[in-house]
Amino acid sequence: MFDLFAEMWGFAFMRRAFVATTVLSASVAPVGAFLVLRRLSLAGEAMAHAITPGIVIGFVTAGLSVMSLLVGGLIAGVGVALLTAFLARRTILRSDASLASLYLIALAVGIFILSAAGSAVPLKSFLFGSILGIDDASMLLVGGVATVTLVAFAFLLRPLIVSTCDPIFFETQTRRPWLVDQGFMLLLVLNLLAAFKTLGTLMAVGLMILPATAARYWASTITAQLVLGFLFALASCWIGLTLSYLFPETPSGPAIVLVAGAFFLFSAIFGPLGFGRPLRKRSAAKDLPLTQIHQEESAK
Amino acid sequence: MSAVLELRNLSLGYRDLTLFSRLSMDIQAGSTLAVLGANGSGKSTFVKMLLGLMDPLSGSLNWPKGRPAEIGYLAQMTEFDRRFPIRVRDLAAMGAWRGFGHRFGLDNAARDRMVSALDDAGVLDIADRPLHMLSGGQLQRALFARVIMQDAPLILLDEPFAAVDQSTEAHLLSIIRRWQDEGRAVVLVVHDLSSVLDHCSHALLLGGREATHGPVNDVLTPDRLVAQGYLSESQAAWMFRSTPPTAETAHV
Repeated sequence: MFDLFAEMWGFAFMRRAFVATTVLSASVAPVGAFLVLRRLSLAGEAMAHAITPGIVIGFVTAGLSVMSLLVGGLIAGVGVALLTAFLARRTILRSDASLASLYLIALAVGIFILSAAGSAVPLKSFLFGSILGIDDASMLLVGGVATVTLVAFAFLLRPLIVSTCDPIFFETQTRRPWLVDQGFMLLLVLNLLAAFKTLGTLMAVGLMILPATAARYWASTITAQLVLGFLFALASCWIGLTLSYLFPETPSGPAIVLVAGAFFLFSAIFGPLGFGRPLRKRSAAKDLPLTQIHQEESAK
Repeated sequence: MSAVLELRNLSLGYRDLTLFSRLSMDIQAGSTLAVLGANGSGKSTFVKMLLGLMDPLSGSLNWPKGRPAEIGYLAQMTEFDRRFPIRVRDLAAMGAWRGFGHRFGLDNAARDRMVSALDDAGVLDIADRPLHMLSGGQLQRALFARVIMQDAPLILLDEPFAAVDQSTEAHLLSIIRRWQDEGRAVVLVVHDLSSVLDHCSHALLLGGREATHGPVNDVLTPDRLVAQGYLSESQAAWMFRSTPPTAETAHV
């Protein structure tokens, strides 16, 4: 065991990968928690696909630099978010259907350009991540995004809690409720970009959603949800990276997400809010549907 | 009594649907206004307009003492996410949102106020319980604690008794009575002609593109309830019959 770690630690790229994913875990955990709580889990996945053309166009035109990744991804992500809001407000489609339509177009555009350009980057590492790809600039990107995210959360946490728990109450309490929504979407896009190198576009959301849903089975408070989510994400990264190292053909993204998936399954089975205990005690007769009470009465 | 809010020549509705037009009335401090009407008559829309979440089609809202910084508001329970992982005390603390803003926690004075609000609403003993473990009545009490924390001169409650049992309803009504005694104005959306009306001084009946307001007994007459589509004629005749029929109750 110790030998394995000593061996892994011997490689500069593994050291980078461990440090980058540790910082990344701290950054994506709060975003993931609120994706789940705000019932945006699937929207997060869609957004991950939606930023693909931005990253690809940035890559094709400016090469694989952090700047091209950041600028392209941000333009695509924010563009899709705004277009989704526009479609949902001005046409019959709801926001989920609008987002689904747009992200599919965006993903197709991205993969089309990537293939047509005959790219030097293998598609696999683009979609699923690679631990080999983490250079100094990527480290800076992850660190920068984590800093922005954690500082933003210091200000956004309470508004996010109130607006998620009771959106109508929140609307009555503030003049610009949309600031919180849009600010959160921006943080989501930034974190997807930060996670892109290690996890790839298809797996980036996995590190947000699975640790958060796993934590949800144990946590009854926001604090517990955030802390546990971070710990699950961190453990998933470390174990996943080790797996990816032991099996050199496996991309790091699926390895990390598989471990997160194992935490999720374990939590669903044993967590106090999972199958471990029913969601609510059903002792009081007044909570039963009326028909059921009548049936029980007539059965006596 | 002084008016908290004066509605003048108010028309309310959506782009191609006018719910009512030219309503002029005052909402008085220390009064409780019941808002009644059939489904779709605009009860909730009226409340959202008072909150400023919606503009009237025409007319004006005048606040003689200025628009209060805080308007107490309780939406219908169906619009609330009960699985959100916070405790009863956190929910109540949201009522002090403007006091602590988005950065800082509650100070000691606010904490004391929260404890007394939880106590008044009858949920102090379950203050640390997460929301998903509450019954409908307990959740509504917790939400009342939040309204108490808001400490607002105008309080809007949208069908607050829809999912609570009788004893909880009685308790919550006593809180409303106290707000009234403290000189706050309460606007209460109710869905049926229930005993709740005994606690209201005024009524606003919506329906049939009209809005009728005044003291409860003047507004809720059989003829008017039928005219505004709230009751059918036979329902009105039964409800306002002179001698109630004697009934036998089968006990279980």
